[in-house]
Amino acid sequence: MSFNIPIGPQHPALKEPISLRMTVEGEVIRDVDIRLGYNHRGLEKLAEEKSWIQNIYLTERICGICSHSHATCYVQGVEKLMEIEPPKRGIYLRYLVSELERVHSHLLWLGIAGHEAGFDTFFMYTWRDREVVMDLLEMISGNRVHYAINTLGGVRRDLDEALRKKILEGIDVLKKRTEYYFKIGASEPTFVGRLAGVGKLSKELAMALCAVGPTARASGVTRDVRKDDPHAFYDEAPFDVATADTCDVLGRTVVRIKELFESYKIIEFILKALPPGPVAVKAPRKAKPNEVISRYEAPRGENIHYIKSNGSEKPERLKVRAPTLANYPATVEMLRDGFIADIPLIFAAIDPCICCAERTVELRNARTGEERTVLFSDLRRMANERARQLPGQRNVTWPF
Amino acid sequence: MTDLEKIEKAKLLLGDKLLEMTHPAPHRIFLTVARENLLAATALLKDRLDCWYLATISGVDKGDVYEIVYHYGDTNGTINVRTRVPKSDPRLPSTCAVIPGAILYERELQDMFGLVVEGLPDPRPLVMPDGWPAGNFPLRKDWAYERPAEIIPGGKK
Repeated sequence: MSFNIPIGPQHPALKEPISLRMTVEGEVIRDVDIRLGYNHRGLEKLAEEKSWIQNIYLTERICGICSHSHATCYVQGVEKLMEIEPPKRGIYLRYLVSELERVHSHLLWLGIAGHEAGFDTFFMYTWRDREVVMDLLEMISGNRVHYAINTLGGVRRDLDEALRKKILEGIDVLKKRTEYYFKIGASEPTFVGRLAGVGKLSKELAMALCAVGPTARASGVTRDVRKDDPHAFYDEAPFDVATADTCDVLGRTVVRIKELFESYKIIEFILKALPPGPVAVKAPRKAKPNEVISRYEAPRGENIHYIKSNGSEKPERLKVRAPTLANYPATVEMLRDGFIADIPLIFAAIDPCICCAERTVELRNARTGEERTVLFSDLRRMANERARQLPGQRNVTWPF
Repeated sequence: MTDLEKIEKAKLLLGDKLLEMTHPAPHRIFLTVARENLLAATALLKDRLDCWYLATISGVDKGDVYEIVYHYGDTNGTINVRTRVPKSDPRLPSTCAVIPGAILYERELQDMFGLVVEGLPDPRPLVMPDGWPAGNFPLRKDWAYERPAEIIPGGKK
């Protein structure tokens, strides 16, 4: 006997309001139907009515966690349309903020993974250390969330020698902390046991469903825009694409921790190679009729903007594809044949940005048909209890 | 594979299905195929040119035609397949049979441009709300948003 369970559209596990209708048999999810559009802001239409420069601030507000990703993706595309080349220092500073943003986003995600797995110490440690990088971002740009550092033709703020030293010191601290997390992950069997084997996504499915970012890389798909389609200086920067082949939430955790180390390497490279000179050039108000595809590796995966100009001050078309949308079809497959109790963990693993509010979800008991309302914290408790009783995952090891 | 090799291979693969090919920037290749050949071309590109990763599908309202661009990413740039759909006959074959990950983008095209994507496994509206009036397709150039008049209970003071 199967039942339907609605989760969302108002649900704390989901950054955007999204509705998941689960068909369950007992506690096993057999099918998932995703409904979107509860938060559709009509942004692509709005962009057609704003000028090139206004759209920087519009695209920056697509997302709160990776605000810099969308703005950078847009700006690097429009610079190609306008045929301007930002000064080297401007480019280096722009991608310095990019990598710091990736560090803060991945630390945030690690905390959430720990929280959903019932390992709240991990959550508190990573979020404390995330403040280091948040402070650095605030010192560079003046803001903690919307950095507003991009402009057409470069960046809006420069860096002095004292701040450069501070960033290097901050990165040294974070490096040591991240090594510690890597060790914790390896030596804490309850954490590894909770994550292993949950939310399986095979390489074939990840490829067929066009998954992106750490979700795809944890399934062994070696795709990273910074390597495949290098923008700016990424073809010179020393870094490797982090992958894992466990195809589960454990793999997605390992990929993100490894990516932290790669980001530290890139940040150090940027700060060592930072050339002197101006940080921005003046941009024209209009762009010739043309089209451009701008790709950017956001913390959650590939971000792609298709921008078309018609010779005026406004874009003719701005198409935005954020990485989370690309990962929805894969999420359906991850949830399939999993347990209700694993929903928070699996959903968190694509990094849709869980907010930690307490909301309710209606569950229906498959045997009695009785409906009841469960707090999200109860759902998490049920999940961790179930994991504790699970045999066979006791001896899982951290895939180095 | 370099851009030039990709261009040569695409020419060979698609033959007379290929209407136009441009190479405006490094790592950016644009191919144009007719709507009737879209599905065959997609299958060929996927099998022979490694275009399994569909980044997204963009639609542009160009007056009397819609321009639909399929953006494929590979390990060395992007290949973009363009097709044109006349406004008088807004039908488009679904590529879901070849690329299952295309479904959300194709459903979005239906909502935003009023295209009918034929053969879609799940043709329900994706981003528009349930009560959205039929025949309103926001990304068409002739569609303009009108903010409904604000009604304050008790009136403004």
